[in-house]
Amino acid sequence: MPWISKDSANTTIERRDEPYLTEAMIKTARETYLPRYETKQAATLPVLHMIQHTYGWIPHQAIEEVAEFLELTPGTVLDTASFYEEFWLKQKGKHTIAVCRSIACEVCDHAALTNRCREKLNIEIGETTDDGVFTLIELECLGACGGAPAALIDETLHETVTPEQLNALIDGARKNKAH
Amino acid sequence: MWQPKMTTPILTKRIPTPPFGDFADRRTISYDEYAKTGGYESLRKALTMPPAEVVSIVKDAQLRGRGGAGFPTGLKWTFLPAPTGPQTERLARGEQRYLAINADESEPGTFKDRLLMDFDPHMMLEGIAICCYACQLDRAFIYIRGEYHHQAAVVENAIKEAYDNGVFGSKGLLKGTDTANADFGNGPFAVECHLHRGAGAYICGEETALLESLEGKRGWPRNKPPFPAIKGLFGKPTIINNVETLAHLPSLIEHGVDWFKALGTESSAGTKLMGVSGHVNRPGVFECDLGIPLRTLVESKDYSQGMRNGKKFKGAIAGGISTGVLSADQFDAPMDFDIGRAYNVLGLGTACPTIFDEDTDMVLVARNIARFFKHESCGQCTPCREGSGWLYQLLCRIEDGDARTKDLDLTLEIATSMGAMPGTTICGLADGNNWAIRTIINKYRDEFEARVRPTYVPVTMSVGAAAR
Repeated sequence: MPWISKDSANTTIERRDEPYLTEAMIKTARETYLPRYETKQAATLPVLHMIQHTYGWIPHQAIEEVAEFLELTPGTVLDTASFYEEFWLKQKGKHTIAVCRSIACEVCDHAALTNRCREKLNIEIGETTDDGVFTLIELECLGACGGAPAALIDETLHETVTPEQLNALIDGARKNKAH
Repeated sequence: MWQPKMTTPILTKRIPTPPFGDFADRRTISYDEYAKTGGYESLRKALTMPPAEVVSIVKDAQLRGRGGAGFPTGLKWTFLPAPTGPQTERLARGEQRYLAINADESEPGTFKDRLLMDFDPHMMLEGIAICCYACQLDRAFIYIRGEYHHQAAVVENAIKEAYDNGVFGSKGLLKGTDTANADFGNGPFAVECHLHRGAGAYICGEETALLESLEGKRGWPRNKPPFPAIKGLFGKPTIINNVETLAHLPSLIEHGVDWFKALGTESSAGTKLMGVSGHVNRPGVFECDLGIPLRTLVESKDYSQGMRNGKKFKGAIAGGISTGVLSADQFDAPMDFDIGRAYNVLGLGTACPTIFDEDTDMVLVARNIARFFKHESCGQCTPCREGSGWLYQLLCRIEDGDARTKDLDLTLEIATSMGAMPGTTICGLADGNNWAIRTIINKYRDEFEARVRPTYVPVTMSVGAAAR
């Protein structure tokens, strides 16, 4: 429900000295993204994607930095960022397990997948494990209806997943924690 | 007995698909392989014709948009204003013309464009180049949904290959940039092509929401008119086409109008990618003539090989959840663009049916669909924002067995009146929601009635009932 307004104006913004929008990102944006569009604002999505991909979420400080870079107000960037589900404005776990809950997956028993995750990780949908490694969410259609039930682990799609396979995938992802 | 008119695969020429190949042999086709198997020859052919001739071929072939609405592609192209001069002069004046490719495939049940982007992205890119040449468009943006991480990487790589091999860019259109168009008095012509990733919003598949999203704003549909062909991306003339529509162009240019019209049915020419999902033995994307009966698609050994576990067919979503359901007695419905009028669904949609077996709870199906639309309503128009939420709550209540008959009536009432197009909402999302819920309740009404308790109405007096 993207129209629900996010945190109100009195939120304190956590800050750090090092900018989130790095020089390398600015360089990519200048060379690759900005020349494509007629307005600077149009580069908002690609730049936010870079930040989301690098940090796993989009801190408010980063929104301000993006706004400054694109010569917009922070509110304009937040307006865009808060609309899209893939941009996380709150910190999430290192790995995201997204189970598809749309029609083909639901009739092919997506609930078995979600329940296995809930039991294994001891969290509910939308929550993050205490150690900050996993976030479990259910998403609308992943575009893999032919391979229902489907799950997206970080950026990799898995089709026709059984609860056992998902179990193994979670274990595999946990091992990658060290990276 | 229905017989296919298609004798060789067309869109799936390089993507092994039953009955001509095996799913397991599918792999991504590189530029070299694409070019070796006749790729980009159609673009070369198109470049020898005046742009207007290419448009008239598409118009004569009656190629209808494959993104869901089935709008004639050639007709859409003719809505564009004529270019005001050669490309270099136009661009200097800031009079760009754009192509936006809708690859924001996110309606539940639909997964056909993914096939083209996964395995044969150059067919789409060739279609893009042909379209840009025909309509004299300067820049193309492929708007791909955010969840398609792998596909985005494949398409990005394919675009790079296309740039390197002289399709796009200043040394592009197969290295004839300087001469392309010159024969027809339009001077040099070049096309730029970029990938733009969405970020998880279904509504961005609506054409004007897609443009807003491309401009870096939230994906809120725009009021029409002005239509995108007049004022689209950045206020400039813009054509928006689906991936599959564009992928049809190379074969259409290669083989011509008569060949294309010989496929499919009279009102729905050509072939179509059909993605079957749900309770079937072999789900997946197949290529079939338009007009194939749903029963054949499900039961034929060439396609989905029948229902899973030998169950009976109970119903199917026609093509993406917004189109509504086909009931068990509509199993023989031909999958063409006339399906809407003939079988009381919204339309063919994307022709990707989701099949339900006899054990499926249709109340659950309705609830799931209502949740989807509630979640994806952009929140701009009140009838859709509020109505979709109430529909979901009512259907949850019916599913839980807490509802009364009047709740069922109320559900139907909302599903008949909420944001009824045209005029009460900006886009068609509420309409899709309505069609889905309304057709499910109307076609499986007894299942819903069995779940609700009668409304208790104490009768103390009867007013006006004695007139008869």
